[in-house]
Amino acid sequence: MKGLFLAVLLAHGVFAQVVPSYKDLKYPPLPQVKVPEPTSFTLSNGMRVFLLEDHELPLIRGLALIHTGNLFDPPDKKGLSEFTAEVLRSGGTKAKTGDQIDEELENMAASVEAGMDETSASMSFSALKENGDTVLRVFKDVMTSPEFRQDKLDLAITQTRSAIARRNDDANAIPERELMRIIYGPTTPYGWQVEYEDLNHIHRDDVVKFYQRYYFPKNIMLAVYGDFKIAEMKEKLEKTFADWTVQQPDVPKFPEVTAKPAPGIYLAEKPDVTQTFFAMGELGGTLRDKDYAALQVAANILGQGFTSRLLSQIRTKLGYAYDISASWSANWDHPGTFRIEGSTKSQSTTETLEAARVELDKMRSAEVTPRELDEAKQGVLNSFVFNFDSPAKTLNRVMRYEYYGYPKDFLFQYQKAIAAVTRADVLRVAKERFLPENLAIVAVGNPKEFGKPLSALGKVNVLDLTIPEPKSETGPAPKSDPAAAERGRGMLKRAQQAMGGADKLAGVKDMTESAEMTMSPAAGGMKRKQQSRWAAPSFFRQEQVLPFGTVTAYSDGKTGWLSFPTVRPMDPAVLKQAQGEIFRVPVTLILSDRDASRTVSAAGPKSVEISTADGQSVRVEFDDATGLPIRQFYKEAAMGEVKETFSDWREVDGIKLPFKILMEQNEQKVGEVAISEIKLNTGIKPEELSKKPEPAKK
Amino acid sequence: MRVCLLALLPGLLCAQSLQEFEKKVTEFTLPNGMRFLIIERHEAPVVSFHTYANVGSVDDPSGESGIAHMFEHMAFKGTPTIGSKNWPKEKAALAAIEVVYDKLDQEKNKGFRSDPKKIAELEAQVKDAIATADSFVEENEYDRIVESNGGVGMNAGTGEDSTNYFYSFPVNRIELWFYLESERFLHPVFREFYKERDVVREERRMRVESSPQGKLVEALLATAIEAHPYRVMPGGWASDIDNFRANEAELFYKKYYTAGNITIGIAGDVNPVEAKRMAEKYFGRIPKGPLPPMVRTVEPKQEGAKRVAVESPAQPFIAIAYKRPSQYSPDDAALDVLSEILSGGRTGLIYKDLVRDKKIALAAASQDTFPSGKYPALFLFYVVPSTGHSLEENEKALYAIIEHVKKDKVDEATIARVRIKLRAALIRKLDSNSGLASELCDYSANFGDWRKLFTQLQEYDKVTADDVQRVAKTYLIENTRTVAYTQAPAEGAAK
Repeated sequence: MKGLFLAVLLAHGVFAQVVPSYKDLKYPPLPQVKVPEPTSFTLSNGMRVFLLEDHELPLIRGLALIHTGNLFDPPDKKGLSEFTAEVLRSGGTKAKTGDQIDEELENMAASVEAGMDETSASMSFSALKENGDTVLRVFKDVMTSPEFRQDKLDLAITQTRSAIARRNDDANAIPERELMRIIYGPTTPYGWQVEYEDLNHIHRDDVVKFYQRYYFPKNIMLAVYGDFKIAEMKEKLEKTFADWTVQQPDVPKFPEVTAKPAPGIYLAEKPDVTQTFFAMGELGGTLRDKDYAALQVAANILGQGFTSRLLSQIRTKLGYAYDISASWSANWDHPGTFRIEGSTKSQSTTETLEAARVELDKMRSAEVTPRELDEAKQGVLNSFVFNFDSPAKTLNRVMRYEYYGYPKDFLFQYQKAIAAVTRADVLRVAKERFLPENLAIVAVGNPKEFGKPLSALGKVNVLDLTIPEPKSETGPAPKSDPAAAERGRGMLKRAQQAMGGADKLAGVKDMTESAEMTMSPAAGGMKRKQQSRWAAPSFFRQEQVLPFGTVTAYSDGKTGWLSFPTVRPMDPAVLKQAQGEIFRVPVTLILSDRDASRTVSAAGPKSVEISTADGQSVRVEFDDATGLPIRQFYKEAAMGEVKETFSDWREVDGIKLPFKILMEQNEQKVGEVAISEIKLNTGIKPEELSKKPEPAKK
Repeated sequence: MRVCLLALLPGLLCAQSLQEFEKKVTEFTLPNGMRFLIIERHEAPVVSFHTYANVGSVDDPSGESGIAHMFEHMAFKGTPTIGSKNWPKEKAALAAIEVVYDKLDQEKNKGFRSDPKKIAELEAQVKDAIATADSFVEENEYDRIVESNGGVGMNAGTGEDSTNYFYSFPVNRIELWFYLESERFLHPVFREFYKERDVVREERRMRVESSPQGKLVEALLATAIEAHPYRVMPGGWASDIDNFRANEAELFYKKYYTAGNITIGIAGDVNPVEAKRMAEKYFGRIPKGPLPPMVRTVEPKQEGAKRVAVESPAQPFIAIAYKRPSQYSPDDAALDVLSEILSGGRTGLIYKDLVRDKKIALAAASQDTFPSGKYPALFLFYVVPSTGHSLEENEKALYAIIEHVKKDKVDEATIARVRIKLRAALIRKLDSNSGLASELCDYSANFGDWRKLFTQLQEYDKVTADDVQRVAKTYLIENTRTVAYTQAPAEGAAK
């Protein structure tokens, strides 16, 4: 047997040097760490400042913490704080637009950024030393005199709308998000998420108010580090911020966590993945927790790093997962979570979850081995020095401790606490805090491919990931006001008269419209021909000639399909658009007072609001002189508010209809429809409209 | 040459800064050909280590796509002395697996004549043999030693052109790193190979199969590149992974992990004399071997634009790629500058047009070379449309920008901005041990000299608006374009 071992060595040509085993290596003591001491003081306007010199590179960097957070979002304007931070930077200052600031900063290879977290907002800058003064001035201007220009708020809202539409695309991101909603409660600031509806409620005023309430000197801590002299930087900051003296009452406490355990098994179906992504967890604790060190050690042994039990068992031994981990993620000021997360091929979903549960139970039923405890503690203690390997880490820590009211030596207390953790402690905290009966388990995957059904673990609750459409698309409809309803009907009646009479309008059973649509350059500049056909009550077909072929869309009002490049069902957003088109067919829209399923109400002296119970709604504005509808406004989840302006009225079979429609979105022109021909009552049958086009020849 | 521009920036960026930096760097090559770069940075008592192996998925043999990545995983499995409860017995048990596995493969190789019953029997035998070998394994001992000694950031990555291994230790563990790192490349043991194969297969499911972007990129590469190994992602194809054999990984290791094919970077609170002594002691044991072959296949010329659609219920994405030469082309610097002009920061042309002004995209960017750079590759554009805006609309807007940079020269201010940004980006790379170790390795291994990291800036300074226009006109042409996009599954498609 010895011989075999030698053969291996020989094969590698190793004769000369024999190295000792790693067990024989001696480690010299680690040199004393020089922990730099930041200088801290308060500016005359009340802003706390921390400074640290670091002359290694010709850079100056800064980070400000503002005492606010997305926990302060109003329930009907979720996301407001994030929009504030984003538009604070992108919306420019009184003197310069955001785009001008972009250029100015990038010409210096510098950056100024703003962000928003749960319990803090941040602003940061980074500059080459010789631009330090200029960049600091930009940073100050952005912080103290933001303009929140409307176009950038619109951009941010458009971007968020797209992000919401995409939030279920990446299965990997879903389990943690859903688990947080379940653990903290979906209607609490800790658990809720931004919806389309919120975007309809957020206006520039709200953003300005949020900014004014929280961004004031006494509410801000600023750390600056880099290649400067403390005394000079102190003077510079004092001077730079001297004229910013706004005051506000103290910021209230963040809302309490009111979570109650919500154990259960939750499944979100996603047919397009080969893996199941999962997260299980329950409410955890804060960094102040007396057992924080022991909990950290316990969670590390269970599931941190390559040597943890979960990884050894589920990745190394079973080969079920590439990635699986457990974490005790404590927060500074409110309970965090205890979580086990990972992914596995669909077939082994249930087995992996079971195996993870078994490992969790083991942590609670027997002490960890002396070796496990020792290695977990050594890992933390031996890598402790990495807490001090950059001035930025030190500075950031000092500032966070003060921000959250922690003792200055907290890190060293933690080091001591880790060293003192015993096997009995680990077992005790695992029993007390890793509670299987409280675990919520979220799995996102394709249950058709699961080997063992998930129900083997217990009752399965299906999670609905459908993204809610805005409840009301044009704000609260004043349904309860009979006088407004009466006035609304009056305006409709006058319009019916102006268009050729109610009876004539009611006689229209189908309509064919040929048009050319021109998108404005800002929206892509595309030109296309289109034909739309409608047959009562709600059959609709549209053919658009695009550069790459003709796209046909069809809807019967409830379902629909699109033809490009093969026929497939409309996704919900497109179907919603099609339903909107049907709802707004001019001849029936103007007769809405005759349709019991529609609510009609005056929205102003010259405008009327028409809506349905299933969420369609439009506001129509009338021309005072003629009584004809001249504009209409409606909202779409995908596009925001759309405004259409009608002109070029012509008569078709005695009915007046507009031949030109100007489309605007968020105050910007997006396109124009020039109608070349409208035909009424040509006898269209619904079957003609629903006929699917022949597939294109390959 | 461009004195006025250099004057805008501090000393560190001029030639003299390189001289300044040079004092911190010690470079040596062992007799076996292994190259070392030691970067002194005494800010804190910690050290980062980076091993750059000049081998990647381009070297995967046919039918074994992903084997370079598979070996990377095996490099964490230990050695005869690390990770075994009883090495002689384990060694025999590992050999026994291969004997039955050979029989299994022989039976399978009979193709349609193979006997399913016999296959099942042999599969059961393989399973038993694996169980026997596993009984001798001291689980994850290699990782355990690193983690319990305070190692942080331990990981590895396999790319098309290289495989990188890295982590950091407190300074008093330097010798432990020399021991561990030399041992794993001196005599790796392919233990738990077949289980790790499942893990690697899982990794592919996570990164590619369950990710809409992953699927799109896979289709883009396989369409745009016809012959060169860049056409396959480093993870390899699922069926190749499922059939990996330990002896294949071992052959691969022997061929490509020769001393002369490895560069090591060590940055931090390190004494270069001590480091050299330990390098000789530990890595000097690795025999000098022949340098592995370069990739032979040259991508043929693309004759016309290509398009590929990937079915995905996710919201749409589009990737547009053009053929470009390798990083050794004289046009490389101009292509870097072009990419920065198109998509750097908030002043990049694509961002400004598609995202900021037209609001038709959630994100849009370019990458100067994709998937990697040693061989002719792709100049890539990637667009995520905003809700309500089509791929077609975005594609058209992107082409308009490309036509614009081909038709009109960019102004001098834009070029100047890009130069400064590239310089500042370099400075910002210099403030971490791990960044330094990896960057210097990378430049040394790719260009023969780590100094290229600095001297490259002079190449950027020489790039003119004419050059940018010229490379745009030369490479961003329809004939070598490939477009990959997602589309919703057709009605009635299999669920």
